[in-house]
Amino acid sequence: MATIMMRIRGPRCFRIPADLCYNLMDLRVLREQASRVAGRALLQGGVGMSEGPTGEEREVTFLGGAAIDGAPIAYIVVLAAVVAALALLPFSVILASGGSFPVSQGVYPLVGWVLGPIAGAVATAIGRTLGVFLAPHTASVPAVTVWAALVGSFAAGSMVVGGKRKNWWIPLTLLFVVEILLFAGRAVLQNGVGVYAAVAGSFLNWSAILLFALPTRTLFARWIGSKELGRVALGLFFGTWMAAGLTHLTGTVLMYFLFNWPEEVWLLLIPIIPLENLFRCVIGTVIGTGVIAGLRAIGLVKPEHAIY
Amino acid sequence: MSEPIAVLDRVSYMYPRSRDLVLRDITLQVRRGEFLGLIGPTGAGKTTLCLTLNGVVPQFYGGRFFGHVTVAGLDTLEHPISTLAQHVGAVFQDPETQLIATSVENEIAFALENIRVPRDEIRKRISRALTAVRLEGTEARHPHELSGGQKQRLAIAAALAMQPDLLVLDEPTSQLDPIGTQEVFATVRELNRELGMSIVMASHAAEEMAEYADRIALLSSGGLVTVGTPDEIYSQVDLLEEHHLRPPQVASTFHSIWRGKADAARVPVRMEPALQELEALSSECSLRAPEMLAKPVVHGGTPLLSVRDLGYVYPDGTEALNGVSLDVHEGEYVLIIGQNGAGKTTLVKHFLSLLLPTEGAVAIGGMDSRELVVSDLAKRIGYIAQNPDSQIFSNTVGEEVSFALTNLGYSAEVVRARTQESLTAMGLLEARNRHPLSLAKGDRARIVIAAVLAMQPDTVIFDEPTTGQDFRGARYILDISRELHAAGKTVIVITHHLYLMPEYADRVIVMGKGTILLDAPIREAYQRVDLLRSTFLTPPQAVLLARHLGQIVGQQLPLLTPAEVASCLECPPPEGG
Amino acid sequence: MSLLTYQTVERDSLFTRLDFRPKLVMIAVLSVLAFVWESPVIQAALALTVIVACLLAGVKSDYIKMIVKLMLPFYLLLLVTHGFWNTEQVKALTGRDVLTPLFTVPQQWPLVGGASMSAEGLAYGWNIIFKTLTLVLVIPLGIFTTDLNNLIVGMVRSRIPYKLVFIFSSTLRFFPLLVQEMQTIVQAQRLRGLATERMWVLQRARVYAKVAIPLILGAMVKSQQLEVVLQSKAFTGSSDRTYLYESVLHRRDWAVIVFFALLLIVAVVLYVWQGVGQFAWLLFR
Repeated sequence: MATIMMRIRGPRCFRIPADLCYNLMDLRVLREQASRVAGRALLQGGVGMSEGPTGEEREVTFLGGAAIDGAPIAYIVVLAAVVAALALLPFSVILASGGSFPVSQGVYPLVGWVLGPIAGAVATAIGRTLGVFLAPHTASVPAVTVWAALVGSFAAGSMVVGGKRKNWWIPLTLLFVVEILLFAGRAVLQNGVGVYAAVAGSFLNWSAILLFALPTRTLFARWIGSKELGRVALGLFFGTWMAAGLTHLTGTVLMYFLFNWPEEVWLLLIPIIPLENLFRCVIGTVIGTGVIAGLRAIGLVKPEHAIY
Repeated sequence: MSEPIAVLDRVSYMYPRSRDLVLRDITLQVRRGEFLGLIGPTGAGKTTLCLTLNGVVPQFYGGRFFGHVTVAGLDTLEHPISTLAQHVGAVFQDPETQLIATSVENEIAFALENIRVPRDEIRKRISRALTAVRLEGTEARHPHELSGGQKQRLAIAAALAMQPDLLVLDEPTSQLDPIGTQEVFATVRELNRELGMSIVMASHAAEEMAEYADRIALLSSGGLVTVGTPDEIYSQVDLLEEHHLRPPQVASTFHSIWRGKADAARVPVRMEPALQELEALSSECSLRAPEMLAKPVVHGGTPLLSVRDLGYVYPDGTEALNGVSLDVHEGEYVLIIGQNGAGKTTLVKHFLSLLLPTEGAVAIGGMDSRELVVSDLAKRIGYIAQNPDSQIFSNTVGEEVSFALTNLGYSAEVVRARTQESLTAMGLLEARNRHPLSLAKGDRARIVIAAVLAMQPDTVIFDEPTTGQDFRGARYILDISRELHAAGKTVIVITHHLYLMPEYADRVIVMGKGTILLDAPIREAYQRVDLLRSTFLTPPQAVLLARHLGQIVGQQLPLLTPAEVASCLECPPPEGG
Repeated sequence: MSLLTYQTVERDSLFTRLDFRPKLVMIAVLSVLAFVWESPVIQAALALTVIVACLLAGVKSDYIKMIVKLMLPFYLLLLVTHGFWNTEQVKALTGRDVLTPLFTVPQQWPLVGGASMSAEGLAYGWNIIFKTLTLVLVIPLGIFTTDLNNLIVGMVRSRIPYKLVFIFSSTLRFFPLLVQEMQTIVQAQRLRGLATERMWVLQRARVYAKVAIPLILGAMVKSQQLEVVLQSKAFTGSSDRTYLYESVLHRRDWAVIVFFALLLIVAVVLYVWQGVGQFAWLLFR
């Protein structure tokens, strides 16, 4: 085994840029080598041929294609195009941030779950930026909208269960806590918003942070990865509440520094913001369940850091 | 011919996570400068074979690979795909997904930039490539401004710019209209004959392949059945039918004339030799009254669909229809043909009330289309669009089939009963709990048909059902249309595969540039060869053979199919046959 | 407005002759200034300058009018909310304890009776309106005037990894296909009895969601073909490649970059030192 391993790690892998080799490549080839002996017998028996292939079996270095963080570039391109297309589908204009499109917003977390955090953030950022370039009026403050969207995808993709990235939630939670303190802090201390209004008005945000920081995060991720569609739907619902809530927080804290809406607006928004998010959850769940069921049925090769 | 450009030596291949061999012990050589055609039914492994030539199989997919593939002296497993790409240009089936840049020149430059060709050299190659495919002057155009044929020519140009030794084309004309198909074949032939480019092309277009290919390789179930010249291969009609392939019509005709007993020499596969052979036969054989397919009588009464002076202009100003008038009666089987952009789908959308006329009027079942709601109309008129994937919305086949019924408000009882019926009729009962996308592409079309038929519409419209299908798949769908017609439904089919339709359609409407050029019973319509040619449609070879035979014997022979043509010649058995 | 191709201006102007990088700097600097400045006067001046620049650069006036029309309800809302209810903040910003009332709602009116619109609050509302206008319009100014090829290479020369730039350009190439696909899907659903005209909001949401599913799945299926195509064109994602177009900074490009950099510095200095651009500047001293 050792010699085989060395042969594989030999010339071929060194000459090729690192991100062309999927991380699991070596493991895959090893597995194939190991099963080759048993496999040959299977081939001869199971394929219905009188004898197996007569050609010499070759060593196949599985290169895959160009990828970002284990997600093929082609996947990122199409999902970015989807985000861009959905961003042009206006659904409603909502008070809080001057321009809001629930359909695409329900999709940001899904992009993170399908591609993984980094690739998901890239897809969402590029797709939303394109949406902004082509129709600048769909976002009142373009940079903020793009930033908030990609944070949502990133946070969603970071909902890993175990593995090397299981501690990514810590710096992210820190970021979100800082954001909410700035947000509510500015409201209460500088703009004279009452404490009740600030707390109730940011219910979505602190509930999202709690769900993210607590083990509920991994629970939802496990549900999303489950084989049962019912559990997947549940995981998507709560996961979207959480990820969309974090998107909302990231966007709103910056918007608030810009727009500084008064207490009356805070009070008005108390029922509206969670209702909006409920909308996003429904949409995210419906779309997510359909998409995940479909991806599994197609047998699409899962990106390395996919959650589903 | 010098040494071969590509050699496959006992090549077998299995995709990862699969237990079946997609290619089995293929040994084949591609000679330098030749045009090698690859034929075989869907699933035979043609695409996989094409991809072995540039290393994508197996380097990109993984899996298990046996044997050796050498292209331009390079073993495809020992050199990275980027090196192989400089020797093998690849052109794929879908014109849209293979163009990845936002302008024509960027498309051609892309691969060159990847292999670090200097800027001036890129510029030179771009203009050379565009000249070779006759797209000069289009550098700045955006891909969506190009027609299907132009897109594929652009893809060819992009492959050419790499200055490859071998050009591999995987069904490049399957998604194109007749003009596009002609353009692509003309381009490829020119590249082969004038520039000496070696070509490997997988295609179902039997007539064209017989005309242009130097050799044909027949692939079936992953194995190479036989290789030979088109004369050798396409004349073996029984062999082709055994593998669910369609020979050129002239070959079927002569095969029928000789009742399968002639050797290759007397079964021509191209038009010119066929016409000559026909002249020889006219003296050898005696003429009989042909057995023609019965075509039903013209219908009367209130038309089901009535169009008067219809004009339609799209919001962006394109005039799609102009002065169109026609009636469709209950129980007719209408074929609408024409190039892309002729207005066929636009016309049909008016029947569904998806579009409302900007001029003139459309009446459906006696009511003006403006007063009808699309979703209500769906109960009466079913529409099956070309791409099944954009008509599938549910997570299981069963749900998909009952989707429409639930929307239309039928009771649970009715929904259950009709879904069951529809699934059984289309052979999808065992698949009812599977996800639609887990079925093969060809089967997904059946799901859509089942879903539409569950609504039990009286009229069914099939929009390009045969595009992208192999012969077996196309016939399956057309047979369903015939069953529907036999059951009394009105059927409208849009297609440009004229040669498939004589067994099904009664009436033909030829459209061109937004107007109706011809509206006649099929037998009459197919005889209007000049009119068809003026809109770049080719009548089936059998029709041309019949005309020629008619000229020889001085009699009108309005025949449509090889069988009909064969039936009018009574020939003595061939020598040695 | 045709969204299928990237909208560009037809007129040749200074903006179209500039390389992308100075325009990127311009977008960044103007956005920062719009973000930081609070004075309605200076925001109005900035917004007006940007609008004039847009028109001079060839951005269609219809387009600008459309944007303003779409944002109008939002702007009115801003004026109302800030005019009536932004009291604490403007008091802090202007240093006043009592605000100047402009208009008072009669006492008898339910809920909002007695509310008074202050001049300061209104001014703050205007500040935000001009701020968002600038932030939105600076994008057509920079992007629509840039030829796509220059945009791509400009991004590469700005040290953005080629992989990301490639994703950007091919997303631009493919997304119109998805928009058309969406229309096809909606049509197909209508033909299966889905009467979207008769639905109210919540149901329509479900319908839109149902459109997204086949859209995304269809896109993912296509992505597999796309991968093979990219491989066959020797694509590795590496930035080590040549480019058909160049992105060269001429003197005028450097001049623009320097100009905006200086503008930023001067503006910040004046803001901090003389209060230029702060909310109360020129209006409420």
